[in-house]
Amino acid sequence: MLELIAQNFAWAQNPVVLARQTLAGVSNGMLLFLISAGLSLIFGVLRILNFAHGALFMLGALIAVSVAALLPDPLTGFAAALIGAAIGLALLGAAIETTLLRRIYRAPHEMQLLLTFALVFIIGDAAKLIWGREEHSLAMPAILSGRAEAFGLVFPMYRLFLIAAGAAVAAGLWLTLYRTRGGIFIRAATMDRDMLSALGVDTRKLFTAIFALGAALAGLGGALAAPVVAVGPGLHVQVIIDAFVVVVIGGLGSVLGALIASLLVGLVNAFGVLAFPGLAVVLTFACMAIVLIVRPRGLLGTVE
Amino acid sequence: MNARHAAPLAAAAALLALPFGLTDFWIFIAVEVLAFALYAVSFNVLLGYCGMLSFGHAAFFGVGGYTAALVVKQSGLPPALAFACLPLAAMFVSAAAALIIGFFSVRRTGIYFAMLTFAFQMLLYAIALKATPLTGGDDGLTGLKPPGLLAQPLAYYFFALSITGASLYVLHRVVTSPFGYVLRALRTNALRVQYLGIDVRAHRLAAFMLSGAFAGLAGAIFALSNGNVFPGWLNWTASATPVVMAVLGGTASFLGPALGAAGYVVLEVLISGRTEYWSLAMGVIIVILVLVMPEGLTGVWRKGIIRGGACATPLPTREAR
Repeated sequence: MLELIAQNFAWAQNPVVLARQTLAGVSNGMLLFLISAGLSLIFGVLRILNFAHGALFMLGALIAVSVAALLPDPLTGFAAALIGAAIGLALLGAAIETTLLRRIYRAPHEMQLLLTFALVFIIGDAAKLIWGREEHSLAMPAILSGRAEAFGLVFPMYRLFLIAAGAAVAAGLWLTLYRTRGGIFIRAATMDRDMLSALGVDTRKLFTAIFALGAALAGLGGALAAPVVAVGPGLHVQVIIDAFVVVVIGGLGSVLGALIASLLVGLVNAFGVLAFPGLAVVLTFACMAIVLIVRPRGLLGTVE
Repeated sequence: MNARHAAPLAAAAALLALPFGLTDFWIFIAVEVLAFALYAVSFNVLLGYCGMLSFGHAAFFGVGGYTAALVVKQSGLPPALAFACLPLAAMFVSAAAALIIGFFSVRRTGIYFAMLTFAFQMLLYAIALKATPLTGGDDGLTGLKPPGLLAQPLAYYFFALSITGASLYVLHRVVTSPFGYVLRALRTNALRVQYLGIDVRAHRLAAFMLSGAFAGLAGAIFALSNGNVFPGWLNWTASATPVVMAVLGGTASFLGPALGAAGYVVLEVLISGRTEYWSLAMGVIIVILVLVMPEGLTGVWRKGIIRGGACATPLPTREAR
């Protein structure tokens, strides 16, 4: 038994492995953050658990692939893909909110869950109709496709770029939430949307904007992930579960909680793969169940 | 015998006569309807009566299915004996799972209860996927079949009909018992129930176990008819199935979800036979259901009677809600 443990944890003595897994965990965590930030934001304000968020992420990746294919230069193509995915998903998000979600804010929970579930089915099949069943990939621009070397550690450039992009989005969100007027409204709506409405803020527009913002974050996340994942039908099925685990651990409605939990889940996965090969999935769900039992509102969630 | 018994008796007679006019394929579908009807009604005991939205009910359907598969394949009992133990085994194991999951979940209400049950379902999914020696991993457990005569579709239909019928009878007795009325009171105002000195958590847990046990039984019936159990039964995409069935049929009546299950299964067969984009069609149907007729088929029917003025005298208020 002890030998088995020693065997399984031999990597813990190797600083290069530790550093590599930490970086891998953080970069995966940043991708998770891009999805779960929007999911958490939407729940915080709209009180709707958006199961279709993974599908929006997949659409972002697919749009990125299509946009990049239009432009000959890889670098501008990649930049245009990121912007195109974010804008495209923002528009789609606004359309979904105004035509569908708006009608069910006062409906029972099962109706809300069913509606976002139906969107998963619809978007999943629509994506197959438009982009086909095969898997696509997005080429990363040359300056991001190399490897970085430091202290005997070799690490893919693109992973470092992901960490930077995630950090930039986190900073942008923080500035929006805490340093702008719109951010004050968003935070107020998380606490008491009826009061906000009574104070004369047009919450209908605010809700549309929030869902569009959340969808845009999912789209951007999908576009950023496109070079490192297989972009095809079924991508959303796994993504939404990862995002769900993150927001539950971090606390629904808390963007900072989503950031912390994303890094946590990313790291648990990165090291779980080494310590318990093949059981990383069980590990993350076990994490989620434990958090829900011990602290049901999550690490930083607001009170139920 | 009076008019109140006429409709159920007519339905029972129709169900007994039904398979004689059907091909083997449609008998197989009818068995699926029976299993899912029991699944949906057991789910709705929680949603419709207690107001608890379990978004992880596929956990119990799956546990029941896997239990059935393991009893048939691994128990080493003679096939007939294994088969006889199967309903009780499936119910027992599912109820045990519901005891554990419910112990942690029923303290929470609303969306948090839904998420907790969902999380546990995903945990079971991960286990089904990874505990390969027991569950067959990704491939699931295949090649199940009922022993002897019951392997014939017609015989199995009557087996499934009797199990489902008996279970629905038991569930109906429960929800119309004093215990059942406590559950309804919980849905309306749990705080008040607590003030009356009733243990809310214990009642919720008991309802959760009851519901889980019968969902497991439904899973076992379906597993043997289907011949296979897959981890996909426990995946998150399966969470919505009982919810859709219950809402489609109408959560405000006891048998509404059974009707919803029949509608869902038949729709699935008809649509997936014509197009590979079955999920797209289902998604659109769900959107319409949620936006246009959230009270479900039975709700629409009742409203129609009242609005249409079919009776000159006011309808007697039904005991169901």
